[in-house]
Amino acid sequence: MYLLKCIAQIGGLLGIALLGNKLTQVFDLHFPGSILGILFIFLLLETKIISLKWVETGANLLIAELILFFIPSAVGVLQYKQLILTNGASFGFVIFLSTITVMVSTGLLAEFLNKIGKGR
Amino acid sequence: MLAGFSFIITILSYVGAKLLYRKKQSVFLSPLVICPFILISLLLSFQVSLETYSAGTQWITNMLQPAIVAFAVPLYKYRALLKKYAVEIALGVFGGSIVAIVSSVMYGKLFHLTPQLLDSLAPRSITTPLAMNISQTIGGLPAMTASFVIVTGIVGIIAGPFILKWFPIHHQVSKGMLLGMGAHGAGTAQAYEIGSIEGAIASLTMIVAGIITIIVAPMLVPIII
Repeated sequence: MYLLKCIAQIGGLLGIALLGNKLTQVFDLHFPGSILGILFIFLLLETKIISLKWVETGANLLIAELILFFIPSAVGVLQYKQLILTNGASFGFVIFLSTITVMVSTGLLAEFLNKIGKGR
Repeated sequence: MLAGFSFIITILSYVGAKLLYRKKQSVFLSPLVICPFILISLLLSFQVSLETYSAGTQWITNMLQPAIVAFAVPLYKYRALLKKYAVEIALGVFGGSIVAIVSSVMYGKLFHLTPQLLDSLAPRSITTPLAMNISQTIGGLPAMTASFVIVTGIVGIIAGPFILKWFPIHHQVSKGMLLGMGAHGAGTAQAYEIGSIEGAIASLTMIVAGIITIIVAPMLVPIII
């Protein structure tokens, strides 16, 4: 029963994602269909056209296993073996330095905004 | 035959890594770190081509799209929380996105990378499908961007716990924002391990960062390259 529910709900979410892709194609929008899909489901929930029960189980499963969906793309670096062998160290340093910079500055900025926000 | 095998091995390595990770919470055992390592080793040692592997695992990658759509559910469930912190999130994520784009390009220049590689690096802080899309728009290599995004996720979840320990960042919202901004989906998964509020904030951050980067990167990147 749980499995059936998951399959049906994930099928629904997949349908919405494909619809989003189609719409961005037709209207020549320069952003991915999945963003439209998020808005679409959110609006359907907000206007109570669909109930949370209809999508929640499948959505939770997809989010819990999110990392699985990245793994084949990660394996795909193999096609740039040469580029990585010559530039790999630079890529590593750039991403390492930049990621740390982003995390620390975002964290501190958020903490600061929270503090001044408390005064409101 | 080999393609079907690729699919099964990918799922098995993921399930195995996840069970192992649950027993021993080391980031090096995180499925995003250990699975690509195992799978690449297998492909190389059995001389299976990447085309064969990709054909077999196409549907795993395709599921990323409904998974992104699924984020509508936590967004909806935590909408009161999101409303409460709307200003903090909007400003914080805007700042974070600018830092992500500018620092990727600047550090990249420091290491004398080509403009095409800088274009591929610029959107690396957001989730794969959105990042690949931007990379294409601004003249990068989308597949290379995908791997930069993955490495970002790995660096982010390794560095995240240290940053949370070493810097005075205590608020649940700040924790969620730094993980979602710094390490997209991987960071969001880690934020959910800390708590459901951190996770909800991280997933919103990831989505907002994606939208901001889509708008800002095509204007900003040509100026700074």
